[in-house]
Amino acid sequence: MIFQILLIAFALFAIVKTTRQYKKDKVSVYWFVVWSIFWTLLIIAALVPQTTDLIAQTVGVERGADLLVYSAVVVLFYATYRIMIRIEKQHQELTDLVRKIAIMEAKKSDDQDQKQ
Amino acid sequence: MKTVAVIPAYNEEKRLAAAVKDAAKFVDAVVVIDDCSRDRTAQIALSAGAYVLPHLINRGQGAALQTGTEFALQKLSADIVVHFDADGQMMGEDIPNMIKPIADGKFDVVLGSRFKGKKSNMPFSRKITIRLALLFTILMSGMRLSDTHNGFRALSREAASKIKIKMNRMAHASEILDLIQAKKLRYTEVPVKIKYTEDTLDKGQSFFSGFAILKDYFKGKFFDEV
Repeated sequence: MIFQILLIAFALFAIVKTTRQYKKDKVSVYWFVVWSIFWTLLIIAALVPQTTDLIAQTVGVERGADLLVYSAVVVLFYATYRIMIRIEKQHQELTDLVRKIAIMEAKKSDDQDQKQ
Repeated sequence: MKTVAVIPAYNEEKRLAAAVKDAAKFVDAVVVIDDCSRDRTAQIALSAGAYVLPHLINRGQGAALQTGTEFALQKLSADIVVHFDADGQMMGEDIPNMIKPIADGKFDVVLGSRFKGKKSNMPFSRKITIRLALLFTILMSGMRLSDTHNGFRALSREAASKIKIKMNRMAHASEILDLIQAKKLRYTEVPVKIKYTEDTLDKGQSFFSGFAILKDYFKGKFFDEV
């Protein structure tokens, strides 16, 4: 019971937060809608846990709570993968930038023996 | 034919001056990439008469090689680029043999080999590591070489512009071999002498750092597909 209340409270807090961010133009409509739907579904699941059991059984998982955990793990793994790719890309961009600056800043002490 | 030596350097103040001067005897210009060293690497390279390119953030040996190679091609209009080491393990006197096959127009890439021909005083543990690396090379790129990963290379202008190193750290050595195959470049091996001293062994690739290189290598392969 306590967990359900906490979950709903947190979901409401998250929705308020996302709405504010959206109004301040810090989040796109897309993410505003996605997050709102996500948290609303979570509230429904917390209020009537039996519905998740129903969904779980139609996809072949016994309990709704289990289905939530399984999906969460998959989503988190994928998110981590995406973040890793993004970091790798940023590494490469950083290298390109460092390289550009290095070539611009190239120095040589005596320029007279510069054979062109 | 304008030949440019590219030397990546990270905290190499002790050995760099000798390496630069040694290489300079056999090339038209020496380019040192200071990979954000905390010691006097940059000043020493400058007073040894090299071009010095400062990496503001440490990016690793592969990235440094690529920086130096691009500078040699774009700003010095090099005909041949030689990858050389900062720690004095390589001998400048091998450079003429390394660039000859390219100057003759017979090959695009020349790889230095420790085992073809001449003798060197390599420790046993290092030999095993290299054997494994060779096996790995045959499996991955199908290139049957007598030596890999010793870092001594000569590239024609064409080859140097085609080979763009993306592996920032040490996996670039395998990456370059893959690119030689992928770009269908003509390659050959030339015997070179590598000096092993206690001083340089501290910095070389140990058996265990081989695993870190493997990780980088596969990571690169994996992300390339994405």
